[in-house]
Amino acid sequence: MQLDEFIETLDDGERERRRKLAEEKSYAITEHLEDVEQSMDETLQGDALFGSTAPSVFVGRSSYPDVSAGVLAPVSEPDRAAAFETGPHWYERGYTIDDVFQSRTNLLNSSRRTNVHVADEWDGFTGVQREVAIADRPVDVEVGLDGRPEVDMDVSFADISTPTGPRATAEYADLAENPHVPKPVEYTLSDDDWKAEGAITYLYNRGLDVYDIENVLSAGALGEAQNRKLVPTRWSITAVDDTICGFLRGQLYNRPSVDKTEVWYNEYLGNQFWVVLAPGDFEYELVELKAPGSVWNPSGRGYYVASDYEGFEGRAEYVDETAGAYFAAKLGALEQLADRGRQAKVLIVRHVTPDYWGPAGVWQVRETVRNAFEEGDPGTAESLHDAVRQLLDQWPVGLDTLRRNSELVAGVQSSLADYTRGEGL
Amino acid sequence: MFKAIVSADTLGDALDSVSVLVDECKIRLEDDGLSIRAVDPANVGMVDLSLSAAAFESYETDGGVIGVNLSRLEEFVGMADSDQLVELELDEETRKLHIQIEGLEGTLALIDPDSIRQEPDLPDLDLSAEVAIEGADIDRAVTAADMVSDHIALGVDADAELFYVDAEGDTDDVHLELTTEDLIALTPGDARSLFSLDYLKDMDKAIPSDAEVTMEVGEEFPVKMHFDIAEGNGNVTYMLAPRIQSD
Repeated sequence: MQLDEFIETLDDGERERRRKLAEEKSYAITEHLEDVEQSMDETLQGDALFGSTAPSVFVGRSSYPDVSAGVLAPVSEPDRAAAFETGPHWYERGYTIDDVFQSRTNLLNSSRRTNVHVADEWDGFTGVQREVAIADRPVDVEVGLDGRPEVDMDVSFADISTPTGPRATAEYADLAENPHVPKPVEYTLSDDDWKAEGAITYLYNRGLDVYDIENVLSAGALGEAQNRKLVPTRWSITAVDDTICGFLRGQLYNRPSVDKTEVWYNEYLGNQFWVVLAPGDFEYELVELKAPGSVWNPSGRGYYVASDYEGFEGRAEYVDETAGAYFAAKLGALEQLADRGRQAKVLIVRHVTPDYWGPAGVWQVRETVRNAFEEGDPGTAESLHDAVRQLLDQWPVGLDTLRRNSELVAGVQSSLADYTRGEGL
Repeated sequence: MFKAIVSADTLGDALDSVSVLVDECKIRLEDDGLSIRAVDPANVGMVDLSLSAAAFESYETDGGVIGVNLSRLEEFVGMADSDQLVELELDEETRKLHIQIEGLEGTLALIDPDSIRQEPDLPDLDLSAEVAIEGADIDRAVTAADMVSDHIALGVDADAELFYVDAEGDTDDVHLELTTEDLIALTPGDARSLFSLDYLKDMDKAIPSDAEVTMEVGEEFPVKMHFDIAEGNGNVTYMLAPRIQSD
């Protein structure tokens, strides 16, 4: 297993500690791995032919541009292939962290080293991989493996990609049926004069959810011909969220603001989210409070606080503290605002409790924020700061810490128009 | 009609003070000089600039308004050495600005002024304290605050008769105090407001370090900063809306 593919800054000791944490918190996972090993024996025909139904793909990012590009297909229960794929259905069915890990450990990643410059390549292993990615339902495939798969669990501590399971090197792959490709995807595929951003937005507007678009982007099936290349899954997730956020944000520039402060709440998989929408021109901030004993703060004594902020005109710098969660949470909030045609000052506070023992992937953030708005009526407050004061006793850190870490808690940006009487601004 | 000759230095400084906030603006051409007023797209920062005819080697106009793309115009002006003269002439027919710098000639397409964001009214603010301070001290305060934070508090302690700057970051703090001895002048009144450093850094870039800046501050109110340019033949006023807590 190549854990280092997912880990940039951890040394071996730290990595070991986090891995142990995950194992200690769930024996079920280790037991499940044994079951997977057993089904693997049953599924493999001869020593290396693997027939299954592939719902999606995975593109690694180590050794870029010669990446590991793979097809994900269930080791057992191929008829439930779609259920193993990351998506809103996991939230809807109330998947636990165990369920997430079990779903993913049941997916064999059959991969090959592939150069990302795939442009027009629709044959061979790469071709099969791309067909699987653009299809909107799982595709029957046969994969010839080079040796036995390694059964293990692989978790990304950046917590953007969903964890992946067993892995094998593929010699070849064949489609066992004609994949079903949705019309809008066919359309973006055929237009190779279209920038990826535009194509992503188009697919979103045609009703594809971000999860489907991520797969299509990962397979290098979007963008101008000369730029079509495989995109590592982790980059693709953030790129799609960011692009759609940009589109939704653009619709709101001249929209009126929400007229009162609303506080929405939702919790899922050991993560609590408070979403505060307050009147005024758009600003956005994600503040993460990470408990000692949770996945990113396994050995910490106190809370680890991370935050990233953007003002009305967006953000020029790289999002460094909250990474993929920043865009996933922002997407959830912007979808709500775009739906209402209103802008707002948006403060999202995420409390990662010790119950979040294994990184499930950033889909968890996206779905929890999206669904926060579905949970009854919002709490009310006089202002963003009034909301913060009311919520303080539910949060594990005090106002001083928040003020130091959060731009919005320190002060929301006022407008010169607030100080001008009459017309003008 | 508009025809003017001005040193590249003077014109460049004037344009810089506007371009830190906006990409395009309207220039009002008046008998006694030109003026620009613009607000950034977020309505947070405003600039009001005037450059009198005396700042020019020669200046003639019968009035009017032109719309310019500031970065393009700055590129043109940037072709000149600082002591060279820039000749500007408006071609009414083509709505282009002819620019001449020592044998280099160019034309710059203008923007329809009606398509540019409307100029804001200057808010009429009653600010409690006034500080006259050197540009270099503002630069020092902004640079120090930027080490630790993304925002900065500007305040006046009326009793102690001092102007202060506070910045609080995740872990580190900066505090700077300037007494009446360090300042050019101080009209005390209790004041404290928090500002985004992004904006203040941009404004700071355009403030000459030897300028005498008059800064007016209040309690959670916009800050106003005025200073002269072009050896007193022009002036700039910046106004910046605060980040507030008692909304």
